[in-house]
This record gives sequence, C-alpha cells and structure tokens, in this order.
Amino acid sequence: MTLNPAERLLNLVIALVNTNAAMTKQQVRTAVAGYSDAPTDEAFERMFERDKDMLRALGIPVVTVGTGGHTDELGYRIDQDAYALPSIDLTPAELGVLSLAAQFWQDKTLQTDINRAMVKLRAAGAGDPSADALAGLAPSVRAVGDAYGPLIEAIEARRVVTFSYRAAYNGTVLTRHVEPWRIAARDGGWYLMCFDRDRQAPRVFRMSRIESRVRVTGPAGAYEIPDFDTDVMLGKAHGEVRAAVVAVRPERAGALRARAKAVPDSEREVYSERLPDPGGATAGDRAGWDILEVPYRSLSGMASEAAGYGAALVVLEPEAVRTETLRRLTAAAALGRPGVAEVSCG
Amino acid sequence: MAERADDRLLRLLGIVAYLDGAGPVPLEDLAARFGTTPAQIQKDVDALWVSGTPGYWPDDLIDFDAASIDRGVVHLTEARGMTRPLRLGTREAVALVAALRAMRATGAVQADPARSAVVESALRKLTDATGEAASAVDVRLAPGGDRQVVAAITSALTAGHRLRIRYVTSSDVVSEREVDPVRLHTQDEYAYLAAWCYRATAPRTFRVDRILEATETDVPVQAHPGVGERSAEIDFAALFAGGSSPLATIRFAPRARWFAEEVPVESVRNLPDGDFEVTLRVTNPGWLRSTLIQLAPYVRSVAPAALADDVAGAAAEALALYATGGFGGAGTGSVAGDAATSANQH
Repeated sequence: MTLNPAERLLNLVIALVNTNAAMTKQQVRTAVAGYSDAPTDEAFERMFERDKDMLRALGIPVVTVGTGGHTDELGYRIDQDAYALPSIDLTPAELGVLSLAAQFWQDKTLQTDINRAMVKLRAAGAGDPSADALAGLAPSVRAVGDAYGPLIEAIEARRVVTFSYRAAYNGTVLTRHVEPWRIAARDGGWYLMCFDRDRQAPRVFRMSRIESRVRVTGPAGAYEIPDFDTDVMLGKAHGEVRAAVVAVRPERAGALRARAKAVPDSEREVYSERLPDPGGATAGDRAGWDILEVPYRSLSGMASEAAGYGAALVVLEPEAVRTETLRRLTAAAALGRPGVAEVSCG
Repeated sequence: MAERADDRLLRLLGIVAYLDGAGPVPLEDLAARFGTTPAQIQKDVDALWVSGTPGYWPDDLIDFDAASIDRGVVHLTEARGMTRPLRLGTREAVALVAALRAMRATGAVQADPARSAVVESALRKLTDATGEAASAVDVRLAPGGDRQVVAAITSALTAGHRLRIRYVTSSDVVSEREVDPVRLHTQDEYAYLAAWCYRATAPRTFRVDRILEATETDVPVQAHPGVGERSAEIDFAALFAGGSSPLATIRFAPRARWFAEEVPVESVRNLPDGDFEVTLRVTNPGWLRSTLIQLAPYVRSVAPAALADDVAGAAAEALALYATGGFGGAGTGSVAGDAATSANQH
C-alpha cells in the first residue's frame, strides 16, 4: 500500500504517541504504515529525518530516548504533554479578532504561520468566529519580505546571520555579520535590531536595504538578547516634543492645522512684524496669515513638512527649523533651468 | 497546486481532536471550520479511517460511525488517543501576537472600549497559552488620526450611517464631502477610510489623519455598486497609476533612498556612485512638487525640465516671503533675492 506523505506522517504521529516506551528506527520502518515503501536504507533514513523535521516545524517534537538494554540503539516517541495546547477558551468575538489578525500580514510565509495557528485553535473547539465586534476594521502591515523567515529562525536559536546591505549614506553595499535581536515595523518600514559583529556595537538595519538572502550561520546559543525598548533603539522615543511657530495662509496646510493650535491674538503682535511686508514684493498682507503653534519631534521632519507647503507657509520660530526649511527651499529653487523660474512666474 | 503534506497533516489531526470534543458534526460545518471543501473533508475522513497504530487491525484504527457518514454527519467513535489539540509553534505565536498587539494600538480599536476589551482578552488568552515568545517581532501601525474623527467613523461604520467629513488632500485642498463608510483600514503608517463619496460619485479612500472633521449623520448608508468587501487592501499602485500620465525621471543622492522604497515608481536604477534614478508617473503634480521640495538637498536632477522649473518656481516663491519678511535674508542666499523680484504673480 502506497500512502501519500500526509497519511504516512499521520500514522507516524499516532504510532509514536501510542507507543509504550519508544520505537526504534527499525520498528518504525517495518511497522508504521508508509515506511515500508522506502526501497533502500538510505531512502528510509532520508524519509524519516525529513518527517521528523516537518513534525518539529509543526510543533510536534519527536524526542529521542535510549531504549536501555545492551544496545546503543535510540528510540523515538512523541510526548503529548509536550505538544498539547493548554486549554484556551476563546469566545466567538475573540476568534473573530484572531481571524482578522490572519489578514494582517501580506507575506506568504506569515500567512502560512497564521493559517496553521488558526487550524490549531479551531481544532481546540473555539466557537464560530464572529466579526461583529470589529466590523469594518482591517489593519495590515507592509510585506516584510524574504528576510523574515531566516531572521526569526536566527532570533529563536540565537544564531548569527550574514547578508549584504546597502548603506544609506553613500550607497555602498557591504557584507554584514550580525546577532539578530528583534524585528520591528514602524512608520511603514521594517527594521532589524541587532548587534553588529563587524562594528562591535548595536545597530539598526532597514530591512528593505538588505540586498542578499539572509544566511543563518554558526552555532545556536551564540549570544544573548538584552532587554531593550524598540523605540529607544530606533531613536523614535528620543526628541522631546518642541513647538514651532509658523504663519499659514488661510485655508491652507490643513493637515498641519489638524495638530496645531492658534497663537492667541495677544501674542500675535510679536510675530506680525516679522511677517512678509504688505508693501513688499509678495502678494499678501500681514492680516492674511494665521499664526499657529505646531508641535514637532524631528527637526528635519518639521522642516521638510514646512518646505513642502511652499509659499503657503512661513516658519517664524525657532531659528533651527527656519534654517533647515530655507536649506530645502534654496536647494529646490536651484533645480530649475537658470532664469526659467523667474520667467515662468513673471 | 497540490496541498502541502504538513498543512494536510495539521488538518487531519485537527479534525480528530475537534470531533473528540464536539460530538457528531455535519460535513459542511466541518469543512467551514477548517476552511476547505466538503469533498476534501470526505477524503480526510477516508484517510483517517485507515490510519492508526501499527498492526492496523480494526481495533487499531481511528473509527467513525458509518451510518452517520451516509447522512452527511461525521461522528468519531475512536480517536486512538489523538485528542489533544496542538500547541502553537513559536513562529505561529509570533505572527498572531504581533498582529494583535499592533491592532490593539490602532486608533480604531482604542476609540472603542468594547473592541479594546475583545482584543485585550484575546491577546491575554493567547499569551497565556503560548508564553512570551513573541517579542521577536514588534509592529506598530499608524496612530490613526484625531480621536473624535476616529470615534465618529467607528460609530458610523457600526451603525451603518452616512458621514459628513471635511478633508484636506495631499495637494492641500480642503473640501466638504458626504460619504458612506465601508471600512477603516490601517496600513503601515496611515489609517484609511474606504467609502463611497457622494461628491465624486465613486468609491474613494481617505487618509484618516487628513480628515479634519467627521460628523455622523442619521442617514442610513446605501448599497453602491463596486464598493464590495473584496478590496480589503489599499491598492497604492492604483492610487498613483495612470497609464497616460507623463513620466518623470529623478536622480537622487543615496540619503533619499526611502523615496524609491515607499513611493510606487515605474523603475529604479542604481548608479555606480551610489546615486539612484527613479522613473515615475506624475498623476498628482501637487504632491510631487511638495515632495521634491522636501527632498531637494538630495535631488541631483529632475527631468523633464518643465517639472524642475515648476518645483524651483514654487520654492523661489516661498523664499521670496522669507526675504521680504522681518527676518532679513540671512541664509537665504542670492537665489531668494533673485526670485523676490519676480515671484509676485501667483
């Protein structure tokens, strides 16, 4: 009788769960349905090793035990307590939430992981999922890419990985050897937090700039992962909230207004004389500006946003934001053909 | 594509563990629970029926009640000890827990105490059952916009009511619209509202952080052709697509690499000196102008020249404001001075 691999694996699991002590390889080969198909010793060995690996990947560890007696032969069995899911009593609404989480990932490998988890949870007898509690809600995260699988494997086993990485500051590609700690997604990017063996320092790598396959190398347990805060390591937690004061044309910069507050009229005087002169070359008058206080953390982020609004916004304070904004505007003004900017405006 | 052996094994074991607790279950219900067809469940039952412990005599085998099967009901009578659902593997737990933690932090969940409670309890039960293995992946999505806006959207979605919103586009134009909300979708750094827009009389996607105000009306939402549940994902390519839109080619310094990573472009060419060149369709000139000003220090060249002039003109106009304001011209350089003489026509 020829069995397909799933049925052979099923019989192996049933046999190794029900065995009294353990089964030797030879017993598996002769007694478990599907293994007698192996034409040679080598073919059997390969088949058995592959099946054990697959079971381990599914969360069903095959343990090795000495069979005792006068041989060195090893025995195999599966310990149900080691693989059983502790009782998990999910309500329909909670299962609905988990089903939604299954749509969260866009990567095939992660979808496979989630689908397996769902099969296991449903086998545990959870009720039918109800999506009512989360009608219309569907979060998802950008695909993390092929590096995910090897990196998770490395983090779990504490193994070193190597990959080639394109540096952002000069575009060069170098091979890196790192001890992976954690993978994080923030602001639309995926980051690898790790210890860089070449630099002998903690480093954050942007995963989209990994240009090669990630190879897991070296022994397991090669390092320890320290306690750390993702945002501190990414530098996102640094930088207090500061305030910039900007003048904005009425009805403009709506997205920025959404988080800004108006400077009170009493303080307006301080700024109004620094606004573009009504009699000057620009179209506008001092009254034609709203003065807003805008919170920001990142100087360059604030300056970029301000510059992006062009002539609809003028930065009044602080000097650092103004300088950075002007740097962007000046560089942009130099992009056009000489003299053309004036012509097109004039 | 044929089903993978490990996925099928998982289902075979899942069916036995589930039926052991659930009693007789209609074939269709079993298929729905495990996300497959009744025909496949029938094949699974046939395979289980001949599986068991070595020897494979009738008493060794997993058994079902034959009469029930004929009535389309699966009734397990002998489980051969395979009654325990499987533990979640590390990767599976990582994928689920990371997704749930990210969901917990989204505005749509935070704005609704009932949702929050469901996600929180699902997460707690899951981590209780799996341990704290899940810190290998840390995902945080968009903060998701103004609390009141999110609360109004969530409430309207649940009640099926039309919304009135004030929205500012990426080109900084504010408009009032009435929309029938379909879905609140958080993708990476932004939350989006998918809706039928009465102003455009078409489906539209709105970035939640650009919704300045949202008011729930008491008008029930209507069915709109083409606004199905299917399009769960934001099609970024489609947002920027436009086969007939003109092409632009921009050469960047390495520091601006995120542009190539996050903006849908037609092509990216890495140049030997670390610079890179992207080609993209100009479907939203206002957005592109603003973005190029923000990135200007890292922009080496822009083609066609008319686009470069457009960007430079907008920047020169803004520089003119700084030059004529009370700041003095410090840092603005001669470009501002030049532009100030002629940038007054807009």
